[in-house]
Amino acid sequence: MEKTIEQICDEAFKEIKTAESSESLNAISVKYLGRKGIITQFLRSISTLPSEERPKAGEKANETKKILEKAIKDAINGFESKVPEVADSIDVSLPGRSVSPGSLHPVTQIMRQICDIFTRMGFNIAEGPEIESDYYNFEALNIPKYHPARDMQDTFYVSDNIVLRTHTSPIQVRVMENRKPPVKIIAPGKVYRSDSDITHTPMFHQVEGLMVGENISFGDLKGILTNFIHLLFDDKTSLRFRPSFFPFTEPSAEVDILCVMCRGKGCRICSYTGWLEVLGSGMVHPAVFENVGYDTSQFTGFAFGMGVERITMLKYGIDDIRKFFENDFRFLRQF
Amino acid sequence: MKVSLSWLEDYVPIETDIYDLASALTMAGLEVESVDDTFNYLEKVVVGRIVEINPHPNADKLKLCRVDAGDRFLQIVCGAPNIKENLLVPLAMHGTLLTDGTLIEVCEVRGQRSEGMLCSEKELELGDDGSGVLVLSDDLRIGSRITGALGLSDYTLEIGLTPNRSDCLSVIGIAREIAAIQKTKIKYPIANEIDNNKTNNFISVIIEAVNHCPRYAAGLVKDITVSQSPFWLRKRLISVGQRPINNIVDISNFVMLECGQPLHTFDYDQVAEKRIIVRTATKGESFVTLDRKDRIMDEEMLLICDGKKPVAIAGVMGGLNSGIDSSTKQVLIESAYFNPLSIRKTSKRLGLSTESSYRFERGVDPDGTVRALIRASNLIAEIGKGKIYEGIVDEYPLKQNTDTIELSISKTNKLLGLELDKATIKTLLESIEFKVQNSGSDTIEIVPPSFRVDIARPVDLMEEAARLYGYNNIPTTLPLMQAEAVRPLKVLVLRENIRDIMTGLSFTEAINYSFINESACDLLKLSSDDPKRQLVKVLNPLTEEQNVMRTSLVPGLIETMRRNLSYQSKNLKIYEIGKIFLNKGKDSLAEEIEMIAGLLTGDRHSSAWYSKETNCDFYDIKGFVEALLAALNISNVTFTKLTFELCDYTRYGHTAKIVAGNETIGLVGEMDPEVLANFGLKQAAYIFELNCNILLKLSNLLKMSRQLPKFPSVTRDITIIINKDIEVMSIIDNINSIGEKLIENAHLFDIFEGAPIPPAKKSVSIRITYRSSEKTLEDDDVNNTHKSITDRLINKYGASLPA
Ligand SMILES: [Zn+2]
Repeated sequence: MEKTIEQICDEAFKEIKTAESSESLNAISVKYLGRKGIITQFLRSISTLPSEERPKAGEKANETKKILEKAIKDAINGFESKVPEVADSIDVSLPGRSVSPGSLHPVTQIMRQICDIFTRMGFNIAEGPEIESDYYNFEALNIPKYHPARDMQDTFYVSDNIVLRTHTSPIQVRVMENRKPPVKIIAPGKVYRSDSDITHTPMFHQVEGLMVGENISFGDLKGILTNFIHLLFDDKTSLRFRPSFFPFTEPSAEVDILCVMCRGKGCRICSYTGWLEVLGSGMVHPAVFENVGYDTSQFTGFAFGMGVERITMLKYGIDDIRKFFENDFRFLRQF
Repeated sequence: MKVSLSWLEDYVPIETDIYDLASALTMAGLEVESVDDTFNYLEKVVVGRIVEINPHPNADKLKLCRVDAGDRFLQIVCGAPNIKENLLVPLAMHGTLLTDGTLIEVCEVRGQRSEGMLCSEKELELGDDGSGVLVLSDDLRIGSRITGALGLSDYTLEIGLTPNRSDCLSVIGIAREIAAIQKTKIKYPIANEIDNNKTNNFISVIIEAVNHCPRYAAGLVKDITVSQSPFWLRKRLISVGQRPINNIVDISNFVMLECGQPLHTFDYDQVAEKRIIVRTATKGESFVTLDRKDRIMDEEMLLICDGKKPVAIAGVMGGLNSGIDSSTKQVLIESAYFNPLSIRKTSKRLGLSTESSYRFERGVDPDGTVRALIRASNLIAEIGKGKIYEGIVDEYPLKQNTDTIELSISKTNKLLGLELDKATIKTLLESIEFKVQNSGSDTIEIVPPSFRVDIARPVDLMEEAARLYGYNNIPTTLPLMQAEAVRPLKVLVLRENIRDIMTGLSFTEAINYSFINESACDLLKLSSDDPKRQLVKVLNPLTEEQNVMRTSLVPGLIETMRRNLSYQSKNLKIYEIGKIFLNKGKDSLAEEIEMIAGLLTGDRHSSAWYSKETNCDFYDIKGFVEALLAALNISNVTFTKLTFELCDYTRYGHTAKIVAGNETIGLVGEMDPEVLANFGLKQAAYIFELNCNILLKLSNLLKMSRQLPKFPSVTRDITIIINKDIEVMSIIDNINSIGEKLIENAHLFDIFEGAPIPPAKKSVSIRITYRSSEKTLEDDDVNNTHKSITDRLINKYGASLPA
């Protein structure tokens, strides 16, 4: 053997370094790595070595081959990436031709999230009229005329017996009238109450839910709502259930979640209580079942409801509910 | 409902921290909305030392005191006889608001500056002595707050009660709940019994309307003196935010706040014929209430009358003619049980809600009537220094029964998701004074106390058990549900689909209120018989600006445009999807139609490095509408010029009706500049309005694959010159209607007007794509067809070919 692999390698590197064009580098590649190239021949010659030296020599030669291949390739790239003529380039810093994306109203976005979670749980979406009869909005829900519970919702009247619905609960009644259990629905939509300040607008959106079956318990209500809140916010958002009163549920519960802003430490958003009231809920009152002809000895169920704007405000850190309906572009385009 | 900690402690010992107590009440269903320091009003009252006393130059009885307030010296004008130098006294600084409404401010008294006030015990509502300034002990720190110095501490809880818990509209009611939470017993106030057996001839009570007034009790206290209430009584009322008036009125309020029974007191000497008649009013009967307002009654309202005249609207408010005044010597006390519905109706119809009506309409304890009467009689006799007239009247013609309720333990557990045993449930219910007896192996029999008028069904008892056990101790489970999936509502799928398409078309979604002002119809120039004038009116709108339900989404979009323009956002692409409401008669629900409407205004292209600013026009919005319809897979849509009669708020000649088959989908066009001006706008705007119900009918969500062509196409152009007023799309339609199999597509690629084209003419260029599904087309295959189409167009439209 005339030269060692190290010597060959050194010589090759010298030639690569002094090469002046990619053509000469291609020639170097042929000279060393081609079919009749020096390294190739060296590799062939290994078979003539004593068998115990062959593996080591082969390994070394192959390694050298790879190093040279890479060095030549890099050197060729070096030549080829040389800056082309200036006349051929553009100012890539210029802004692209403007295409502005559209956007969904923030309430729509959160409404979709809420509906998605419940439909994934197997709830179906039901809808109903926004101008509703007194019967469906109140009476069928165990809120007779002149009941003090009517004070809980400031109602817009269209006539003595027709109102702008104050909640989407009438949909529950309409669905139950037309369908035997099991029932699992959510009812999203606009609702109207005669109220206006930083946390109330005369129109807002609600999602209400109803599940009726043979073995539905208060524990199940807690389970569904806990699951829901964890998906809507996160698993660390704990819930607490507080006794309350709604004429159409018994037992009734307000659901508070751990303040999403301060995580329970107390802040302005949660009035320094650490908790935020986000849902009303309860087991469907037997009087409601009686009104739709369900057998109260066989079926139980739960219902719940939430204000979508309130949840949107918490999700997006919005401080004034009235912003939702001012439709200021500078506001809408943030979401 | 407000209660103070010290008042509660009269009936139940409270050992827990006030905030823990508040949270325990909240978790038991009595939501504590706030906890306030009762002595907040003394915040700016400090311990002061009188350093120097000088005579007032302009008043003999007043002195000028130099008072050390700790960090500064103040000059105070004071007329109290007991002031001396070096005395420590309460100093009310500038800004103090005393409970009688006096605001202490820096002022001039007879020409001398006074920078605060030295106060008596009575002025601070800390005691009865008003004879001189309160002398404080020498060892107090000068300048320290009086509350801290005197160790004054009390809290006022504001509790947001739900309408079912009328039993808690009293301090005792809340004390009862606390006792149950703490597992302690409540101590009821003791009142000297009045011998009921004594005959009484002081009044005769006649109840004519027993359904309205099931029970009416009365008592009499003679020889009383009307005066200011003692300190302890004033303190109780002040602690819950009530202003003391005189001893008789204060006691009546105190007993109501203590036990929840509203009372009414009459000047006995003013009661004609010593008779009380409880009757309904006659229609139109008028009565002047204590607040000097003339009330017009109807036959469902209940009046308390003496032998001659009405003296009170039962359970709501007394009359101006029979109240207690300083000359009253004998007090007739009324304690009654009125029908909640009756009081509610009266209160609602008169628009008059009082502490009394609030309690009656939610239901007071029918068994507590006499107890409250005796309590009040005793207090009036004691404090008013009078004598109880032996015997009371208690007319109770319509006994209010409390029914026994049977409760199944297994059903309770099933509903709640618990496994409580009978003994546990029994203990829970007994802690709030329910009487519980075993009946069957799975059942218990319960008699709720008379004050729990909200308990009627087993489920009410289940709620009580659950709330006392603690909702948060109920295990969280997930229900077993049938896996059946139901087909989603088509309208929902369409709506969300439209939203996604509009987002893709770079529109921003707006949501406007469903109510508008009725003047919008005129502003939109709607014709007098336009269905959009069938407005649904709101009887009690929040503002007149929102007094009807919208019959079009357009006013909302224009308002959105107006608002954004005023914020200098002048390029807008907005849409809204929502309902409009058409009136279908007084007793019918409205017709609700879901619509989608969009508005485009401002620039098509803003000025940028690659383009000049250009305004959008009709064809921009039409393009968006076409894209939306195409994305919804709605085909065969035609746009035809909307007739003059049908153009209200859009510009005639620049508005198209959108039709598919027999269905009118809606319109697209430029807003009438006059209408925009009505809304205070000048900038041109383009709108579309589509009926979602029609879109739903037409939208074809079924999609079918078609074979892709195997052979190349050949294109040929035609340029013809036609009259300017011919709608170009009719030419394309005409080509398509030939039914020639080889024509794949006809595409308009140029329109030109002006020289060398003659006036009133235009040149139109159409590119026709020919393709065969069987072979590659040769020139000859196409030439003849193309020639015959050209001839056909020349004939049909009187067209000529370009020179
Ligand atoms: Zn917080």
